[in-house]
Parts: sequence; structure tokens; C-alpha cells
Amino acid sequence: MARMKFLCDSDRCIECNACVTACKNENEVPWGINRRRVVTIGDGKPGERSISMACMHCTDAPCAAVCPVACFYGTEDGLVLHDKDLCIGCGYCFYACPFGAPQYPRVGNFGGRGKMDKCTYCAGGPQQDNSAVEYMQYGANRIAEGKLPLCAEMCSTKALLAGDGEIIASIYKERVQQRGYGSGAWGWRTAYREELPA
Amino acid sequence: MLIRRSEGQAARQRLAGAYQGLSAGGTDRRGFLKQAGLGGAGLAALGALPPRMTQAAEAPRRAVPIQRVKNVCTHCSVGCSVIAEVQDGVWTGQEPAYESPINRGTHCAKGASVRELVHGGRRLKYPMKLVGGEWQRLSWDQALDEISAKLLEIRERSTPEAVFWLGSAKFTNEAAYLFRKFGAFWGSNNTDHQARICHSTTVAGVANTWGYGAQTNSYNDIRNAKTMIIMGGNPAESHPIAVQHILAGRELNRSHLFVVDPRFTRTAAHATDYVRIRPGTDIPVIWGMLWHIFENGWEDNEFIHQRVYGMDEIRREVAKWNPREVERVSGVPEAQLKRMAQVFATQKPATLIWCMGATQKTVGTANVRAFSILLLATGNVGSAGTGANIFRGHTNVQGATDMGLDVSTLPAYYGLDEAAWRHWCRVWEVDYEWMLSRFVDKKFMEMPGIPSTRWFDSVVLPKDQIEQPTNCKAMFVMGHGGNTVTRMPEAVKGLEQLELLVVADPHPTTYAQISNRRDGTYLLPICTSFETVGSRTASNRSLQWGEKVVEPIFESRNDYDVMYALAKRLGFADQMFRNIKVNDGVVVVEDILREINRGTWALGYTGQSPERLRHHMENQQHFDVTTLRGRPGTPVEGEVYGLPWPCWGTPEMKHPGTHILYDTSLHVKEGGGTFRARFGVERNGETLLAEGSYSKGSEIQDGYPEFTVAVLKRLGWFDELTAHEKESIARVGGQNIDRVSWSTDLSAGIIRVAMEHGCLPYGNGKARAVAWNLPDPVPVHREPIYTPRLDLIPTPAQARVLAADPKAIAPTGTYPTLRDRRGYRVPHLGLSIQMRSHQVAKEFPIILTSGRLVEYEGGGEETRSNPWLAELQQDMFVEINTADAAERGIGPGQWVWVLGPENSARIRVKALVTERVARGVAFMPYHFGGWWQGEDRRRFYPPGTDPIVLGESANTVTTYGYDPVTFMQETKVTLCQIRSA
Amino acid sequence: MNEQDDPRLNARRRFFGALGLVAVAAPAAAFEADGGTGGLPPQKESEAEKRKPRYRETDHVRAFYRTNRY
Repeated sequence: MARMKFLCDSDRCIECNACVTACKNENEVPWGINRRRVVTIGDGKPGERSISMACMHCTDAPCAAVCPVACFYGTEDGLVLHDKDLCIGCGYCFYACPFGAPQYPRVGNFGGRGKMDKCTYCAGGPQQDNSAVEYMQYGANRIAEGKLPLCAEMCSTKALLAGDGEIIASIYKERVQQRGYGSGAWGWRTAYREELPA
Repeated sequence: MLIRRSEGQAARQRLAGAYQGLSAGGTDRRGFLKQAGLGGAGLAALGALPPRMTQAAEAPRRAVPIQRVKNVCTHCSVGCSVIAEVQDGVWTGQEPAYESPINRGTHCAKGASVRELVHGGRRLKYPMKLVGGEWQRLSWDQALDEISAKLLEIRERSTPEAVFWLGSAKFTNEAAYLFRKFGAFWGSNNTDHQARICHSTTVAGVANTWGYGAQTNSYNDIRNAKTMIIMGGNPAESHPIAVQHILAGRELNRSHLFVVDPRFTRTAAHATDYVRIRPGTDIPVIWGMLWHIFENGWEDNEFIHQRVYGMDEIRREVAKWNPREVERVSGVPEAQLKRMAQVFATQKPATLIWCMGATQKTVGTANVRAFSILLLATGNVGSAGTGANIFRGHTNVQGATDMGLDVSTLPAYYGLDEAAWRHWCRVWEVDYEWMLSRFVDKKFMEMPGIPSTRWFDSVVLPKDQIEQPTNCKAMFVMGHGGNTVTRMPEAVKGLEQLELLVVADPHPTTYAQISNRRDGTYLLPICTSFETVGSRTASNRSLQWGEKVVEPIFESRNDYDVMYALAKRLGFADQMFRNIKVNDGVVVVEDILREINRGTWALGYTGQSPERLRHHMENQQHFDVTTLRGRPGTPVEGEVYGLPWPCWGTPEMKHPGTHILYDTSLHVKEGGGTFRARFGVERNGETLLAEGSYSKGSEIQDGYPEFTVAVLKRLGWFDELTAHEKESIARVGGQNIDRVSWSTDLSAGIIRVAMEHGCLPYGNGKARAVAWNLPDPVPVHREPIYTPRLDLIPTPAQARVLAADPKAIAPTGTYPTLRDRRGYRVPHLGLSIQMRSHQVAKEFPIILTSGRLVEYEGGGEETRSNPWLAELQQDMFVEINTADAAERGIGPGQWVWVLGPENSARIRVKALVTERVARGVAFMPYHFGGWWQGEDRRRFYPPGTDPIVLGESANTVTTYGYDPVTFMQETKVTLCQIRSA
Repeated sequence: MNEQDDPRLNARRRFFGALGLVAVAAPAAAFEADGGTGGLPPQKESEAEKRKPRYRETDHVRAFYRTNRY
């Protein structure tokens, strides 16, 4: 069965932030909540690279492991979603997440942050698909509409790939072979434990 | 803590409190759905909106029928298709347009957020005027009545030349054409737009080299290049979708990608080679490359012999630029330069990509000419993967330029002479004598107007320095920011002296708040391009038709209807709209394009009827991503996407458009071409026509001049014209039909016959390496007006000698700017100001340059009002090198003053300490406004229309300096000092 | 520096507050930041429903894959 993945080709990412505003546009996420952001390493120096980051929908998600109310659930598409009706805004998931994905509506102490919000892979949440209430709580459910996350769909240089992990891996392999040098995807080796032929 | 979007986490929620609620509008999708779900409750919050927007639907999200409408992004010249999803008249979603061969579904941060532009709560909602320093609401009728009465009074008292008409590169082609036509019918050539400050020098430079002022190839065609040089451009921020094609090409061909820039840009981060230069030394670098190329015989001699005039004179100038001198002036080491020269000349096809870094200079035109000469010397023009890939800035800056929204020409570069006026009077079906009566006299009818970079000088300079009956007394601004022109302190003085200022725009713009005007300012709410129809010309000359996404919101109206309403009050609507239908005040936009089609023969905007353009938009999926050609067996087979001009003849002739200019490998009927024979047939005994080079299928297998009736007769082709065509030609030519040419023949007969014989109607000439009509026929290096390199400019004593004797030669090893002169009705100072460097360079030791950020565009009012973008860039900043910062005790994120060498100007911004800029160089983005020399002027905006993010304008501290050919402003090299605040 | 320390920001907040717009416009535009339903009745999915696969390789998705290749 297809397993959803994000992959950011850092040879292509130019930090244009289209993924960020596409996400805002599609999900109407308010000011201050960043489901996706672009991180630049070595800013202004040779070797500068940017990568677009959001929830990575981990197989063995640390957020889910630490959640005291078990609001996270994995779907058969390989996505990590959560139920805001259960979330108590404790912030443990934020500490557990290596990517900084969980976001909160307010700055505050334990319990005062409000319910956690994060990238849903444009797959909504545990309300009926594409119901108004699902949109109010979680944003769009493009996956149920037969589409992919808008951040990847609109990526200016086709750096951000989303969809069936095997297909995007094959797209990426094709690029690496075409380029004739090693992998430029951040985290590729960690994620896939694989070396690509140069 | 700061600034840079890479630190999104830190910036988070900084302006959250400010933003909450003010986003208002109430028409976002959540709001829409919420009302939908609740069956219409809570509609009171939408009270400010017109009724059609408050018709809340009963059912959730996808249950309300979705209408998909296609338009074009308004933020740069790439021309990305936008697919809007509209529900019940509300724009509720954006979807990727995978079928567009240009953007293939993608957007940058701006493109992915255009929906907010339309429903943004900070737009101007109704007409307003400033009364005693307070903004008052008024009706459209009252506003237009008052404005037109005042305009007529000024016209009566001070002649039509006293009004400055500033148009927009965000106009559609139809609106740009209409605005230029409006200026003509008003009786003045004082009509300009942003091309002045963008690529006017490119247009002048390349048109003077090979005939037409535009990108020769296309964004898509860059996929074919084996070598690319990006010089003075940062497409990763300015044209992100172009980078999709650049990087794909780089990977496909394992291409070389050189980025030549004073700043290590985000584009440079993706280059194979980064070459850092001192700002303002482009010509030494190009001549230095050519030095290696000529030295090693890497030039393309056959190409030069067949298609280029005057290369030997270039060789003489280039000989001066040995590697040592290049390094002394520009800082580029010999080995790096030689490698770039060799790769560019031998790893072909090679393309040169440039942008404002080349054009916004006192030597802008000369830079562009040098770039073009490098392409000619290496044979890199007129075929796939080569060319001058000039990335223009706004959606339709190419089209608006083509439509003659300029001070020196009528539409389609016909110029301003009597023949040009007579041609357009015939197209407009108005009497030439009547048109003449609209102007002060024939001299003013044919005299170029005042460029937008100098409008305030035309207001404030003593009358005897202005070549006009009076100073300018009123300004009408349509779709143009106020903070993108240099010398803002002087612009503010100009604003304060105007009797009337009209700003017609979706936003109030900087003009509304920057001066201390208290009366006589009007703000007219204009809708965005998404709320009307029309065509836009992308940088690659493709025309794309946009459909109306939603009705104009609030009380806003579209450009066309406002121009009509004003023309009516000014008394020339009947003549101006003779062939353009107007239904109850609503202008039929298609009729404007049809009129353009009937007049722009010289440019080939004639085959692109509204029907053909719509057909392309509906069949986007059938065009190839690399060739832009319609695939075999599809309804658009063989046609080039968007019918890029020249698209010769009438729409019925079905010319496919021209993907690559001057491409001799194709038949003219397939979009082939030659260099334009625009500069005569002979000079100093040497031919200016091509030798042994011609486009595929040409019956004349050598150079030939442009086609006229006389030429047709000489060739024995005259009788191939139909009776109808001959009749039309006779009407144009009167007694002497021989001089009727392909560009004035309204029947297109001459073009048709030329093409039947495989010939280009404009002839087959040589490109000019030497452009004898320009101030520097062979481009020469000239130091920026404000330079820290005092060793490279004459001493004041030497300068006095130079100024006194026009024939005097500059002392060896110095590169002075041009002598003081006049142009475009105003004085143009050069050398005398450059001498100020001797006094100020010590106190202002840092070179200041400026540029774009990906999140914002232009003056930035529109994009800084968009919360999705504003959140990403919340502060105006200056990039300062770590060493310069350390010397001054400046830490990252700290407030600093940037001081300029004129007007005691200073601005308060945040410091971004970085190695992105070299030591001694600072960079600022130019999109900010709303602060003035330390003062936050938010309260001067009409309530509720202030952009979310305000900041100091870079141009508050930029300085004097203009290109001699176009009066392009110098924004890329001046001096500054930076102190901690 | 945290946001409370930024005097300019505080000034802006006061400025906006004085306009009184925060309260006026909030109802229509506010994100249900606390994860609320905005007053809409819940339509919760069952445990099985919420986990079931939804991804389909539609024409739309295939267009995405195609344009990501060269």
C-alpha cells in the first residue's frame, strides 16, 4: 500500500516560501501558526542550502509516544494526525518532535497554549471528510479529494515532493542520476539508509 | 530574533496582536464556511461588503458548486497561470495549473497567496479625498467631477503639459494602450510607467543592437542551455519560477551556471561558479571576458562576418581591458574570468541572463550593449539555448512598454514624429489636425515627455530650467508605487507643491501618506487584474489572456471604466472610444485588443486576437514545456504558446508567433527571423545588411532592407497585392504610395507578400556592435556617480578641464561619468555630481546597493498588506558585512541608521550582519514604506488601509544618477554610512 | 529578545487596540485557534473510518508526478 512521504530536494529549494503561503492559503492558518517553514543552513555563505520543513509524519512518531492523552493516530496512508477534541495543549509533543512541527495558538505555560496545530498533510482530521467542521478544526482534506498537499503541488522549483513514497523516491533517483553527483536531499540517507549511485 | 525568514520561529507572533482582527474583510474561506454551516448567521460582520459577497451558501465546502477561472499572477514577468476556485462569487481556493507550460502548477510565495490580494481587508474601499489633512469619503461621481474640473482648469491655465500621467506595468495590455492613448488625446507625452525604472535601458540597449527591445528567447528555452551566466539578477527571489527551468536545464545538460553579482544571492547558492564583483563594474568584466576570447580565438568569426557590424571597433576598446586592469577595477581575478570566458564561448549554446543589476545604472544602456556584444561575438543569439534572457519585473512591463506607455513613443515603438502620429490617427480614425490641436503645438507633440524618474524635478526646478510652458502642477498616478524612485526627499517636496494628486490603485500607496499635503489628494479604488479581463505579455513575449475571477469588490472599479469615465468628463471620450464599444459605462476590453491588432504592425501584436489568445488558454496542456510549441494532432498544433510577438499579419494569417527572435533556422511563417534592418543599409562604405545569412526558405538569399511598396516594385512582387490591399495602401500613401511600408500598411498586404517569399517584413540586417546614435557608440566603463574609488575618477582640477572642453580625453586610468547635459526637458548632471565623491567618500565609505525580496514586490503596499506574506518579512533591514559591523560595534538585529550623501537623508532599519555582502558593501530591499527618517507614519494612511508591515524606504537615501539614454535611475551603486542607532 | 520586550511592537498593539478593530472584525475572520468547531455540530469519524486510506492516484496526482520529472 502507498505510504505518503515528504521529500525536500535541497539542490532545488531556493527558499521562496511558496510552500509556506500555499499552506496558509489552503488551510487559512492564522498569523503566528506555521505548519510549514523553510530553514536555511549556512545563510549567505558558499554551501548555503535551504529545506522546507513540516511534520514529517514519522513511522514511529515521538509526539504520539509522549502524548498523555493519546490524541495522535496513524492512518493507513502513513500519516500522523491528531484529534483536537482530545488535545490538552500540554506541549509535550513540541518537546519530543525533532522537527519543531507542533504549533500552538498562544505563547504560555503548561496548558495555556491552546490546542496543538500541525501539518495534516492536507488530510484533515477525525471529522467527516471535507465537512465544514473538519475544515474549521483541521483545514483542508485534499487527500480525500484525490489531491496532494498544496505546499508540494505549488513548489516553485519542484523541490518539495509529496505522495506515494515509492514514486517520489523514483523521481528523486532520476534526478540524482541526471545530475551525476550524490544526493542533495536533506536527510535522505537517514530516512532511506541508502546510498545512490553517483 | 530577527528579520530573515529563515528564522521563522523567532519572528512568530511578533505582529500577531497587530494583525488579529485587522485582517478583517471577513471573506476568507473559514469565514465563508462558517456562515455556510450556520445557515447565514453572523453576516453582520460582512456589512462593509457588497451584497453579492454576503450571499452565504447553505452547504459546506465542496457542496457549493465550484467554478474554475484562469488568470495570470500579477507579481513578476514569468506569467504563471493562476487557477481560482470561486464559490458563490467568493474566491475560496487556488489550485495548481499543471497544464501551463510556463509554471506547470507552481508558484512562489507571492503567487501562492494572490487570493488574499483580492479579498484583502486593507484595500482601498471607496473614493477618498484629503481635506485639511483629514481623509473624507466621497462618491465616485463626485470624485471624478472634482478631479476633471481641476484638470481642465490646470489645462486652461498652464497647458496640457502641466499634468503628469503615471501609468502601470500591472496594467493589462489593453489598459496600458488605453492609458497611452488617453495621454495622446489629453495632449501630452508626459505619460510613463515602471519600465522607466526597470528595463528601459535594456529596451534601448538591445533594440539599438539587433532591432527589438525584448528577451530574445524564453524562460522555457533556458532548459536547452549548456552554459548560463546570470549577471545582475537574482531570480531565486525575483523570478522563482524561472529557476525551475534554470535548474532543470542545469541538471539536464549538466550545464555551467555562473552567477556574477556583488552579493552572494540565493541564486548564487545554486551556481556552479560564483563571481563577486565590485558594484558598477559590469563593462570591465564583460570586456575582460572578451579580452580572453579574442586573445584565444574563441569568438565565432562566421557569425560575426555574416551578421554583425562594427566588431573591430569593439576589439580596440577590449584591448585596453587586460586581466590586470580588470582586476584593478572590478576585483575579479584573472583565472576566474578566463574560465568564465572560455566556458561561455566554447560550451555552447550559452545564454546571458540579466535583470536590474545591469539596468539600473548610470551606464545601464551601455551595460546592456556590452552584454549583447558578448553574445554576438560568441554567436550566441538566434538559436535554442542561447540569447539575451532578460527577466523583466512586473506582470506586464513588457506589454506596457510595447504599448508605448512611455514618454518617447506611441504604441509599438513608432516614435513621436509626424509619420507616427499620422499612422496612429489613421488607426484611431481621428483627424491628424484635430489631434495636433490637443497639444500646445507641433513641437510638443513630437517632443519626448518627462521621465517618471524626474517628475518631481519638473515640479520643483526653476521654470527656466524646464523645457515646458510651465512646471508640472498635477499628477495622476494609476497603479504605481511612490517609493521605488530614488531621491525621495526631493520627491516629497514635489508632492507638496502639486495642486492636484490623484492615486488610482487598489491600495493607497506611499503617495497617500508620505508628504505633508493637506488638500487636493484623491484616492480612487481600482480593482486588481483578477477582477477584470485582459491580456498580459510575459517576459518571453507570450500573451496570456486572464479571465475575471470575481466582480470588483468594495466600490472598486477597473482601469478601463475609470479611464472612460474620466475621458467623458474631459470631453474626448467619443473620439477616443470611436472603435471601442462601451455599454453603459462598461468598456468592451476585447475591442481594445482588436484595435491594437489593427495598428501595431511594426511589432507583430497583430495576429493575437482575443479569440486566439483564449484558445491558447483553453489548450495550455497541448504545448511542449521546452519548445512551447503546440503538439502535433492538437488544436494548437505548430503554434507557439501565447503567440509571442512578432506574430505577423492579421489573426486570419495564423502566424504561429515567434518563440526565439532572429532564429534563421526557421521559415518566417514558422516564427523564424533575422536581425532587423533598422539602421539603414550602409555606413562608411560598409554594408549594414546581412551577408550570406538568411532565414530558412527565404527567396532572397542575402541581406535585404525593410519592405516598402518601392521595394516590392523593385522585386517585381507589387502585383501580388490584392486590389483591396492596393486600395488600402493608396489611402495611406496618397500621392506617393512608394513610401508606404510594412509598418504603416493597414491591410497587412506588404507583410503578407514578404512572408509568401520567405522574407521578414522588417528586412535582414546586421546587428550593431557599434551604435553610432548613442552617447557611447562603443560601451565604455564609467565609474558610478558616487564611488569610493577616487583613484578611478579625475581630480576636480582634471574634471574642470574635461567639462570645459567637449573634446578633452579623460586622464589615463580614470573612468569619469558623462559631462553635464540636458535631456527629456530637464537638466542631467553627471561629472559635476561625480566630483562630490571626493568630498563624501570618506564620510560615506560603504557602497549601498538594493534589490528584491521574494515575499514582496515593487513598492510593496500590496504585498505588505497580505498577512501570509507580511508574516514572513516583518522588518526593513540592511545587510552589512561582519567586518564592517564589527568596526562599528553593530550586532545582529540591532537598530542602525543608514545615512545617505544627499539631503542629509537617514533611515532607521535593522542590521542583518552577514557575509552575503562583501566588506565595504551594504544591501537593502526596496519594498518598504510608511516610515520616514525614523518616523512611523501609519496614522497618515486612511484608516484601515495601512499595510500590516511598514518600514523605511531604501530610496530615502539613494541618490542622483541617470542613464543618458533613458534617464533610468541609479539604484545599484551609491554610498552610505551605517551607524548604530 | 522576546516579543514583550519589543517596545515598537507594544506601541503597535496599543495603536491597533485604540482603533477598536480587534473586537469588531474578529468574529468573522478568527481561526478556531483552540481547535474549536466554530459552533458547528461535530461529525466525528469512527476509529476505523479515520484511519482508512484516502490516497488515490488520480489524474491530478499523476499530473503532479509527471511535472516533477524532467
